[in-house]
Amino acid sequence: MINEFNRTFFDDEQKISFIGEGELGGKASSLKFFDDILKESDFTEFDEIQIDIPTFTVLRTDVFDDFMTQNDLYDIAYSDSSDDEIALAFQNASLPFSVLGDLRELISKVNVPLAIRSSSMLEDAKYKPFAGIYGTKMIPNNQFDSDTRFTKMVEGIKYVYASTFLKDAKEYFTASGLDIRTEKMAVIIQEIIGNRYGDKFYPNLSGVGKSYNYYPINDTLPEDGVINLGFGLGKTIVDGGFSWIYCPKCPNKKPPFGSVTDMLKLTQTEFWSVNMGEPSAYDPIKETEYMLKENIHSAEEDNTLQNLASTYDHATERLTMGTGRDGARVLNFAPLLSLELIPVNDLLKSLMKVCEEKMNSPVEIEFAMTFSQDSSLEKPYRFGLLQVRPMVVNDTDVSLERSELSSEDTVIASEHVLGNGTSSNIQDIVFVKHETFDPANTKLIAKEIAEINTKLLSEKKPYILIGYGRWGSSDHWLGIPVTWSQISGASIIVEASLENMNIEFSQGSHFFHNLTSFKIQYFYLPLSNDFPIDWDWIRSLEHITDLEFVSHVKYDKTLKTIVDGKSRSGVIKK
Amino acid sequence: MGDKSFNAFEMAQQQFDNAADMLELDEVTRELLRNPMKEFHFSIPVTMDDGRKKVFRGFRCMHNDARGPAKGGIRFHPQETIDIVRALSMLMTWKTSVADIPLGGGNGGVICDPHNLSNREQEQICRGWVRQIYKNVGPFTDIPAPDVMTNPQHMLWMLDEYEVMSGKKQPGFITGKPVGMGGSLGRMESAGYGVIINIREALKKLSLKANATSMSIQGFGNVSQYAIELYIQMGGKVICVSCWDQKDEKSYSFKKENGIDLKELKNISDQFGGIDKSKAEELGYEVLDGNEWLVQEVDILIPAAMENQITEDNVEKISSRVKIIAEGAHGPTTPEADKIIESKEIFLIPDFLANAGGVICSYFEQVQCNMNYFWTKDEVLGKLDQKMTFAFNSVYQFSNKNNMSMRVSANIMAIEKVVDACKGRGWV
Repeated sequence: MINEFNRTFFDDEQKISFIGEGELGGKASSLKFFDDILKESDFTEFDEIQIDIPTFTVLRTDVFDDFMTQNDLYDIAYSDSSDDEIALAFQNASLPFSVLGDLRELISKVNVPLAIRSSSMLEDAKYKPFAGIYGTKMIPNNQFDSDTRFTKMVEGIKYVYASTFLKDAKEYFTASGLDIRTEKMAVIIQEIIGNRYGDKFYPNLSGVGKSYNYYPINDTLPEDGVINLGFGLGKTIVDGGFSWIYCPKCPNKKPPFGSVTDMLKLTQTEFWSVNMGEPSAYDPIKETEYMLKENIHSAEEDNTLQNLASTYDHATERLTMGTGRDGARVLNFAPLLSLELIPVNDLLKSLMKVCEEKMNSPVEIEFAMTFSQDSSLEKPYRFGLLQVRPMVVNDTDVSLERSELSSEDTVIASEHVLGNGTSSNIQDIVFVKHETFDPANTKLIAKEIAEINTKLLSEKKPYILIGYGRWGSSDHWLGIPVTWSQISGASIIVEASLENMNIEFSQGSHFFHNLTSFKIQYFYLPLSNDFPIDWDWIRSLEHITDLEFVSHVKYDKTLKTIVDGKSRSGVIKK
Repeated sequence: MGDKSFNAFEMAQQQFDNAADMLELDEVTRELLRNPMKEFHFSIPVTMDDGRKKVFRGFRCMHNDARGPAKGGIRFHPQETIDIVRALSMLMTWKTSVADIPLGGGNGGVICDPHNLSNREQEQICRGWVRQIYKNVGPFTDIPAPDVMTNPQHMLWMLDEYEVMSGKKQPGFITGKPVGMGGSLGRMESAGYGVIINIREALKKLSLKANATSMSIQGFGNVSQYAIELYIQMGGKVICVSCWDQKDEKSYSFKKENGIDLKELKNISDQFGGIDKSKAEELGYEVLDGNEWLVQEVDILIPAAMENQITEDNVEKISSRVKIIAEGAHGPTTPEADKIIESKEIFLIPDFLANAGGVICSYFEQVQCNMNYFWTKDEVLGKLDQKMTFAFNSVYQFSNKNNMSMRVSANIMAIEKVVDACKGRGWV
């Protein structure tokens, strides 16, 4: 049971409410479901932690329908107009009158930062997650004038509506075989978990937990799950930036860094916050209009790293837990995971277990936490559950012997493969040319790939994509910063390594989720891979397109792919 | 226009007297508030299209401006009288007060029938009206607005004349102008939407859902059309609408049991909201007598045409199913009928609360004009909803607390604020 919005927000006993009629959308329904679960569940062992779903109100899907029809937006929405044109048309439209009074009342009573999030009908459905495809707008909502706050919130809602029809979403629909005309968007207006530090507002800890891990490390099993922890807003993690990755079963085992200096380079150095200070340039169609990305050093004065970071001693080349000494900070979350200052890991394990049981499937959760330094509080810590979605786990039984990886007809093979199953319908290969590859040019490479992807997608031809570094990373020095839509036609993605691009195996959460849900097989080939790519054969194929950084070749027969999920090995054969 | 023996001003005074008794107002204050503070009668000579000269009679009353510049409409109607103008100016004082906007009350009009006038003749009347009253109206004294049979074009002609005479650009002189010419987005919708905001809140108090209710409405002008639009959006069903037929010089009701289609009725109506009866019949509407709108088996009635429509003579014909009457027009219910409605336990939303949406948006328009900065439609209508809802709930709470009808409560609340302003200024 969910209540109609009664023009209160925080004052209402019910922390979840709705405006309008129609559906709540996938995300909001899931949050409501887990709100009930959290209330029923016994978390008494975590008595110092307030565990809840942050307060939110949902604009149900009929509001979206009315917005679209009353403003005649369907024509431009379904057209080939550019993202900017569509987003601006949405900004120029008016919200249905029926919600305006409620929204004004809401904003006149609330002046904490808000997240305006998508909750589409199809989003978060079990097999089509739409993770990260639709927009989220964070607004500081701290202007003195409620008119300004109202305007910013309305702009955010229209931005989320528009994101239903932007290029990323349309290509996602094409790739997933769904009809965009069946989509409807509800919008969640939700308090952001965090505290204000000067001009920044952010949570102390954010993270993503998966109860099934396709990339198990340190001898753990896929069923042991994996957790990514980050500092500041969770955007760092979901966008594929550096975060701390560990298995909740053995939280003290650190990821396999080559050295402490590697760890310094490959852990989180920047974090996202909501900008509470001087307004940034007006740009209502930019998702990060009110967000700041800064180096973690800027958080020193906020005193928010102490429970999360260790300090690097240059003289001894060792790390010391905490931030008591001067030195470079390393966000390895050791005070939490090793000293267990706050039982975050135990809570995550319990929570994922509960969620798994209730959804009857492996799950992925997103969360944020704040740590109060006021020890007199009964519950100095707050844990906000932001999202729960089921994960797709492919259990087709495939068996692959190691000897098959190095047979004569092998083109690509690896023992670090994500996915499971066989296929024999691919003729096209798109690859990044190593002779022109330079990490400084990865943004240009992404554009070239997108160009070929659009063509192959329109021809409905699945392809193998081969490149270097971490696919979809927001940090273009770590890999090729493609968005999902730029590679949405790929059936198999190969992450190869070069001397100057030898990155640990990991993806951004949203990127990863899409890979797994579309059952895309992902081959990771570290520099030390025992099975080299048969480049001579690939280059001998017919060249369809040859750009500066990327080539598209075609095989006159079909390639056969076998991936054994249990042994995590896979092979692509002629 | 209804019964000729009916005097709208006497009715307004009677309602004021009742409230004044309850407030135990002193005689001087009563004297001040029973009548307009200023009253202008003037002639407007116009050269007609055929070359004849014709003189039209015009009025403007400023009832009270203790709370701010007077605000009120201008009506073009063949049966306009000074008493109607007086009554409406008083109602505007109460309306701006109950809506809690910093304005007083005024009203004006011209005895004419725009149905029988060309655009050029109407323009001459508009410009003539401004020339006669120029010194006593303005953005900081008395701000006119459209009312019965006047529209944004009329307002723009009046503004133009005023600016020519003053030698300045002063878009805040008048409201209800076309969008892009100093008009506010949302202005067209505001009055009709305002009526439905009140109904929406009343439905909540009665624990009813809009989609389980039906409505009959008198009038098919701007207020009615937007009221119907929003009510249908909320899921309600409008089964009957009445309007004036200029050709037959009588009104008709148009009924469709399974719900009227607003778009199709708008397509067969003229600029004054007169529906073409033969086309309506072709579209499957029952064409009934003009008074039939009142006797329909519905949950909600909206008189949104003229004053003096629900009287002692016809009030008993209202169906026992009716739960809400929202007065979209000024003074549509006589005090005698009012008592009977109260005894039937029908939730009545009084005129100056129900139809305050128009003046609230007029106020927004004036604010925007004075700043020369115009808001989005979302902002205008969002603020409208907030103000209307607040006004309704304030009156409702007062009514509940003091066990009074909504009309008496609204009257008392409004009059009390005006009295305080007059006393504060040392007038009484």
